[in-house]
Amino acid sequence: MNLSQHLPALIVVVPLFFAFVMPLLARWRKQWCVPVTLGAIIFSFVAAVKMAFQVMNTGPFSYYMGDWPPPWGIELGIDYLAAFAALTITGVGLLIIWYGSKDLLHELKAEVIGWYYTLYLLLIASMVGIVITNDIFNMFVFLEICAIAACGIISIKESRDCIEAAFKYLVLSVLGSGAFLLAVAMLYMVTGHLNFTFMAEALPEAMALYPNNLLVALALLIVGLGVKAALFPLHVWLPDAHSSAPSPSSAVLSALVIKVYAVAMIRLLYLVFPRELLGMAPVMEIILWMSSLAIIIGSMFAIVQDDIKKMLAYSSIAQIGYVFLGVGLMSESALVGGILHIFNHALMKSMLFLAAGAFIYGTGVRKLSELKGIGHTMPIPAIAFCIGAFSMVGIPITSGFISKWYLALGSLDVGRPFFMGVILISSLLNGFYYLPIVVNAFFGEPEKAVAKPKPLPKQMLVPLTILSFGVIFFGVFPSLILGIVYRAAQLLLGL
Amino acid sequence: MEDVIVRYVSRFILPFVQLYGLYVVLHGHLSPGGGFSGGAVIGASMILYALSFNLAAGSKKLSHDVSSILESSGALIFAGMGLLSILLGGNFLANRAAGIPLGTPGNLFSSGSIAIITFGVGIKVASTMITLFYSLIEEEGHSHDHH
Amino acid sequence: MTITEIVLRLHANSYYFFAIILFIIGFHTMLTHNNLIKKVIGMNIMDMAIFLFFVAIGYVRGGRSPILEPGVNHTFINPLPSALILTGIVVAVSVTAYALSLIIKLYKHYGTIDAEEIMRIRGGGSL
Repeated sequence: MNLSQHLPALIVVVPLFFAFVMPLLARWRKQWCVPVTLGAIIFSFVAAVKMAFQVMNTGPFSYYMGDWPPPWGIELGIDYLAAFAALTITGVGLLIIWYGSKDLLHELKAEVIGWYYTLYLLLIASMVGIVITNDIFNMFVFLEICAIAACGIISIKESRDCIEAAFKYLVLSVLGSGAFLLAVAMLYMVTGHLNFTFMAEALPEAMALYPNNLLVALALLIVGLGVKAALFPLHVWLPDAHSSAPSPSSAVLSALVIKVYAVAMIRLLYLVFPRELLGMAPVMEIILWMSSLAIIIGSMFAIVQDDIKKMLAYSSIAQIGYVFLGVGLMSESALVGGILHIFNHALMKSMLFLAAGAFIYGTGVRKLSELKGIGHTMPIPAIAFCIGAFSMVGIPITSGFISKWYLALGSLDVGRPFFMGVILISSLLNGFYYLPIVVNAFFGEPEKAVAKPKPLPKQMLVPLTILSFGVIFFGVFPSLILGIVYRAAQLLLGL
Repeated sequence: MEDVIVRYVSRFILPFVQLYGLYVVLHGHLSPGGGFSGGAVIGASMILYALSFNLAAGSKKLSHDVSSILESSGALIFAGMGLLSILLGGNFLANRAAGIPLGTPGNLFSSGSIAIITFGVGIKVASTMITLFYSLIEEEGHSHDHH
Repeated sequence: MTITEIVLRLHANSYYFFAIILFIIGFHTMLTHNNLIKKVIGMNIMDMAIFLFFVAIGYVRGGRSPILEPGVNHTFINPLPSALILTGIVVAVSVTAYALSLIIKLYKHYGTIDAEEIMRIRGGGSL
């Protein structure tokens, strides 16, 4: 038995296993919940690091569940994109739940905290599953687990806003999953395969016979995953869901969950569908315009918000637009920018939400206009927020700059400077709503609740510090992560 | 709910329903049905019991706590069988490839890990049905208290 | 295409045709009704339509369920879609249960299960 060769299965199964152990622990050994959860996610993180090194050294590899080779069995395919996404999910997921282990105590009732860890582990397992699976039906199953777990970590708070937001999210998620399943049916109908590789081989022939069938499938996939990824104009559920949830939930939902669907869409569009089919309908063009609108309108909505978490939620709509902009431009640099932005946005948005959570924990204030002077009384979260805000705007030496730079290069590569204009305008808009907060935080006079905040526990400060360090670090040394991203983009584009 | 006819009829059919559910679960690897269908039948029988007698009688037979423990253990059996295959040297969930004896096809004790997994799924589904029912009904009870 | 041809084609593809009609009914119910329970019912109808569509892919006219009996040779249906859809049904069950429990909670908070009523109480926004 060589454990390292089973990592692709174990990275999913270990969190899944401990998710079901958690209710038992919550009943008898409450104090073990946090260490066991952290342990399971640390295991996944180590596995993801190991897989990333393996994939960089020896190239993509796959794992056959139950020793059944495809097309009969389920195949887990670890390519550059999958390893990269798994690394992002487990790494950021670990920091968020570490922070959450203290923050949740004041946001949730004591008896449901054990269930929170169950849901969180399920969410991590399903997200990793979505990015590493090479089987479309398996992907559907993980999508559903992810949808329910994601709604669960919102509704667990039981305030009326949370319940309502979770219901709205659930209904739209189910709609999205329904569209996805119908697309799977259409694809299975004409190809007879569920494995990505085999489907990709069978599709050119099927395209000649049943082009309409495939176009419908493509449309359903884009709508289905678009709803879940909150691609404009399918984003209506996102602001309420992400702003009302407990802070760790908001962080994981904004930073990771919506990106996972983007990764799924990238894999399906680039690896499964033949390029000619994408030429038959202006799919990429539609994605481009939707994402440009998302970038502009998301930022505009964010400007008018006064609730800090709602503002961050609208900003997520704009940021997911960057990822899809990279997908739609179809050039190497743009795709690198888009994929890199998955990682960078995961870092900075989780940091911003956690910093906002820290403000709320310390002072109970959610309104931006009342957060004046927070930089004097809660310096560490305020500095983290400030770094996140600079990164959002895209100021050099922060990681947000790198991905925007590549996106802008990519739009010039394909001769469409218009989209570079979109990126520039949105950076200005981002500056409009992030910088006043930073200025107010450090140059305002603290009053009322802001003047005397509760001290923050270590478990909340350390993840924030690590994340802000990460944002700067990957802004100064982007080459560490760019290597795998470049390979991923080249593999996807078939270069 | 004190309906004599419902009580007598359900008392009469319940053993058959449960036996049938158990049969479907245990023969999951041989015939149509399996963990989910059989588990749903068993779960439904418990729900029928709680409905036709009352909730207190139902929870005496299988309390909310026990059903949520069973729920976890059903899932753990599934994952455990998968991990066992890795311990035996195969891939995750491998059956014959990991050296688990398959037996004679058509016998009740055959098909290696599939039968055990089906059993685990049966436990999981049955207890999930019951837990869902209890959770919804208890929630309903709470909301009546409020108004 | 003459009318007979259209009718014949519809007949040949009747499962798919009715699945799509059912899908539209479910979708319509889900989007237009204000009653949250009806929304959930619509959601289920929609899911069932997709399941019907998927299972119909595996159906072979005159085929039997694929249980091998020694010495007997039959045409079998393709069991894979049915097996996949069993998973889909499990998911639909859990989603329905979860949605219903959320509705109970909403009723507790708002005293109504009408989406518009809830919207009015919240003041703005949409459900």
